[in-house]
Amino acid sequence: MSEDALQYDAIVIGAGHNGLVTAGYLARAGKKVVVLEASSAIGGAARTGEISPDYQVSTGAHLISCLPKKVERDLKLAKHGLVWATRDVATVALDQGGKHVIIPAGGKKDIATLTAHATRDGDAWRRFDAQMKKFISVIGPFLEGPVPEMGPDLPGRVPVTTALRLEKLGPRDLRAFLRFMPSSIARILDATFEGDLVKGALALDATLGHHSGPKTPGTAFSFLYKRALETLGQGTGYPAGGAGALSDALAASAESTGARIRLDSPVAQIIAGAGKVSGVRLEDGTVFEAPLVMSSADPKTTCLDLLGARHFEAPMAKHIGRIRSQGSAAKINLALEGLPTFENFTDREYGGRLLIAPDMATVERSFIAAKRNELTLDPVMEMVIPSYHDPRLAPMGHHVLSIVVPNVPFDVEGGWDARRDEFVKRVIDTIALYAPDVSNKIIAGEILTPPEIEEKLGLKGGHWHQGDMSFDQLLAFRPAPGMANYATPVEGLYLCGAGTHPGGGLTGLPGKYAADTALLKEKIS
Amino acid sequence: MTEINLDDKDETEIVQLSPLDGMGTAPDPAWFEQPANELPFERYVLTTPLHLVAATESRTNQWTEWNGYTLANVYTTVEQEYDALRTRAALSDISPLVKYRISGKDAAIYLDRLLTQSVAGVAVNQVARAVLCAGDGCIVTEGLLFRLGETDFRLVVRSPHLDWMLDSAEDFEVGVEDVSGTIAAMSLCGPLAEAVLEAVGIEQANSLEKAQAVWVELGGMPVYVSRTGMMGGSEFELWADPDDAPIVWRRLLDAGRTFGLLPVGMAVRNVARLENGIALEGIDYQSGFSAPDLSTACSPFDLGQGDRVSLERSLFNGQKALTAIAKRGSRHAMKGIEVDASPGVRIEAIFVGDRKVGRVTSHAWSPRLQHHIALALIETDALGASSGFTVEVNEEGEGCKRLAVKLEKRPFLEFS
Repeated sequence: MSEDALQYDAIVIGAGHNGLVTAGYLARAGKKVVVLEASSAIGGAARTGEISPDYQVSTGAHLISCLPKKVERDLKLAKHGLVWATRDVATVALDQGGKHVIIPAGGKKDIATLTAHATRDGDAWRRFDAQMKKFISVIGPFLEGPVPEMGPDLPGRVPVTTALRLEKLGPRDLRAFLRFMPSSIARILDATFEGDLVKGALALDATLGHHSGPKTPGTAFSFLYKRALETLGQGTGYPAGGAGALSDALAASAESTGARIRLDSPVAQIIAGAGKVSGVRLEDGTVFEAPLVMSSADPKTTCLDLLGARHFEAPMAKHIGRIRSQGSAAKINLALEGLPTFENFTDREYGGRLLIAPDMATVERSFIAAKRNELTLDPVMEMVIPSYHDPRLAPMGHHVLSIVVPNVPFDVEGGWDARRDEFVKRVIDTIALYAPDVSNKIIAGEILTPPEIEEKLGLKGGHWHQGDMSFDQLLAFRPAPGMANYATPVEGLYLCGAGTHPGGGLTGLPGKYAADTALLKEKIS
Repeated sequence: MTEINLDDKDETEIVQLSPLDGMGTAPDPAWFEQPANELPFERYVLTTPLHLVAATESRTNQWTEWNGYTLANVYTTVEQEYDALRTRAALSDISPLVKYRISGKDAAIYLDRLLTQSVAGVAVNQVARAVLCAGDGCIVTEGLLFRLGETDFRLVVRSPHLDWMLDSAEDFEVGVEDVSGTIAAMSLCGPLAEAVLEAVGIEQANSLEKAQAVWVELGGMPVYVSRTGMMGGSEFELWADPDDAPIVWRRLLDAGRTFGLLPVGMAVRNVARLENGIALEGIDYQSGFSAPDLSTACSPFDLGQGDRVSLERSLFNGQKALTAIAKRGSRHAMKGIEVDASPGVRIEAIFVGDRKVGRVTSHAWSPRLQHHIALALIETDALGASSGFTVEVNEEGEGCKRLAVKLEKRPFLEFS
C-alpha cells in the first residue's frame, strides 16, 4: 500500500456500533474515513455469534430499546439490511407459581397481572408511571444533544426546556422529584408498591449493568435515566439476525458513503504533538494519518493507554484514571432443542424479556455477593429467547436462550477457571425453578464472564457501558468532569464511545453527537 | 525526617569550632535523636540539621515553626539582626524548605508539564523560579528549580506536595523523590555576604551571577552555593549535607565575625522579604489545595507574576484555567501598602469608603522606611480607584481606627 493511501480525513478507532455510527455520519459529511478495528469482526458488543453450528445468538447485548429513529433514518439502515424481528418486547417478571407480571403494564390485562399479587399495585403503577413520565420530561432534553459543558465559572447552562418543565412540575411534584433523584430505587419502590415481584423486577431494571444494588443511593436516578433513554427509541426489540445485524447495517451504510473498515488493525498509539492529533500507529507499526481521530474505545484506554497521561493536565488525567468501569455482568447463551416450558406462558411472554428477580432482597443479595467477589446463591437475570421472533437463528423447532446475569464479580474468589461451571449450574438451576425442563433441552452453551467480555468484546474492565452510569458519571460528568463535550484537550481527538454522553445501551447517540460536535467545531474554526 | 547524626567525634570538633566556648557546650545530641522504633511522620516537632548550632547562638530562646521544624524566631534582638541583614551580613537556617529530586529521561518534559514555565532555557547550574499550579490555575506552591544536570533537577518549594508531584508523573519516565532530609540549607545575605564567602575560601562567589549556582568545596565538604534568595540585595543560599551543615555554619560565623555577621531568625527575615515585596504561599495566600475557598488562593496573575507563566507553549498543569484568567482578568490582586502607624499595631481589613475590598495578609514595621508596610489582597474592581483606601488599625489600648493608605509599588526597598 502506498503512503498516500494511509492519509485520511478522519480515523475512527473501533468498529463497535458507536464507532460505525460516527464513521457513517462523518462519511456522509464528505469525509474520507477509515475505521480501525482491533478484532477480526465488526460490532464490538453488538455482534452475533454462533453457540455451535446453526445456533446463532447475540454474543453480547441482545436487546435494542433506545435506537432513535433519527439515526436509523439518517444512516438509511433499512436500506442497508436492517430488518426488525420485533419491536414490541414486553417485560415479564417471572413467578414460580405462574402468576407472572407484565411491565410496563399497558392495558387492563397487564394491570391485572399486577393486582393478582397486590390489589393496590394496579393504581400504584398508574400513578408511578405518570410521575416517571413527568420526571423524564425534565431530564429528557439533556439526552437530545451534547450536554452543555460546565465551566469553572458558569454553573452549566441548563436546557431551557428543562427549566420550564421543572417549573411546570408544580411544588408537589418538584418536591417529589428532588427527593427521587438521590434516592435508592429500593426506597422508592417500597414506598410505592406492595408486590414483591414488581419491586424485584423494577429494582433489577434500575441496576442491570451497573455495579450497584437496589439499596445503593442514586439507583432511582439510574432507573429514570434508562427510561428516559428508552423514550428516544422506538420500542424494545431486536433485529432479524441478532444485534450483529445492526452493526452489519451500520457498516454497510458507512461503506456505501465511502468509509473504509479495516479489521485486525489494533491501534497501539494515538500520535499527537504540540497539542494536536496527527494520526495513529497500529501494533504492527503501520501509521495512519488524519487531522481528526474519533475513538470509540473506552475513555481510559483512549486517553491513558493509547494517548498517554502526559497529554492531559494532571488533574484531568487523574479524573480519567478514576472512572469506575468495573464490569459486573456475565452473558450466558444456550442452544436448546425446543422451547422450555414456562407455566401460563402465551405468545407474548415467550417473545418477551424475562426477568428473574423474585424480590428486591434477592437482587440486593446478589450485589452484596459481587461486592465481596463471591457468586450469589440465587442469581437474578434477564433472559430473551430471540429465536422466538427470529426462527432463522436456530434449526426448525430449536431455540436459543440469551441470558444476562448482573452482579457477577470481575475477580471471583478462587478464579473464574475454577468457578465457571459452578456459576453456569447455579444459573441453569435457577431457570429450572421456572421452566423445569430447561436443563434437559440444552444442546450447547457458551459463557462470557466479565474478564472474557473485556477480552473478547474489547471493553476495558468488562463494563458494558464503558463506565458505570451513575449520577456522578453521567451528563456533564461523562466520561469525566471537564470533558463532557466529546473533545479531549488534544485538538482533533474526540471520544465517541459509550463512555461519553448519553452513555451505553445501543443508542448510537454517543457516536452521532461526537460526529456532530467534531463537524461543528471544524465549521467554526 | 531529619536525623541528627553527630557522633561523639564530630561533637568534639564542633565544640572546638565553637566561638562560644564560654557559654557552655552544645546540648546533648542524643536528645534530638530519633528513637529506633519511631514510625515515619510520628513526630510532630522536628529539628533541622542546624538545630544544635543554632541553639547555641540563641540568646532569647524564641522559636517558631515552619513545615513542622523548629526554627529560631529571634536570636538576639530584632533591631540588631535587622541591622546586620541590611548593613552587614546575616546567616539563617532555611532547612525546612521542601526539596525534591527529579531525575530521569523525561525529567525536563515532566517539569514542563508541572511548572508554569518551560525549563528548556534553564542551563545546568542555573536556577529558575518555579510555580506549580493546580487545574483551576491557583498556585499549589512555588520555589526554585535547580538544574543539576541534563536530566537531574532539584525543586525547592515552600510546602510538601509529593502526592501532586507523583500524580503528575504518570506516563513519564521520571523519578520523583523527596530529598528534604538529605539536604540542609542556609541563607547568607547582606551587603557583605560576598566578603564572608570569600573569607571562608569560597572565591567563586564573586563571579556568580544572579540565579546561578556552583559546587564548591569548603574544608573538604561539598557545598552547593546559589545566588538566590528573597530578602533583596546581595544574597546567597548554601546547600550542604546535613552532617556537614553545622560545620559550614560555624565556619561562616567564625569567618564572618570580623564583618559583623550575625545569625538572623525568622522574624527579621519576614520583615526583609516584605520590604522586598514578596508574597509567600502559606502566609499571604493558601496553596490551591488547602484553600477553603478561592478568596484565599491566588493565581500567578493575582500576585503580579504573569511573567512567570508562559501560556503559549506545550501543555502544563493549569494552562486552560490560566488562559481563561489571563483573558478575563484576576478576581483579586496582591498589592503593597504603606501605613503611617506606630510599631506594634495590628492591621487587618482594607476599605474603600465603607466597603471592605480586601484584607491585609501580612504586615511589619520596616526600620529602614520607618513605616508599616503590608501586603494586601484587594478585589480588582476596587483597584480602579487610585486613592481613597483606608485600613483598619488595631492598637493596643487605643482600639480601632481607620487610617488612609496609599498603594505602593513593590518592592518597597530599592536595591542597587
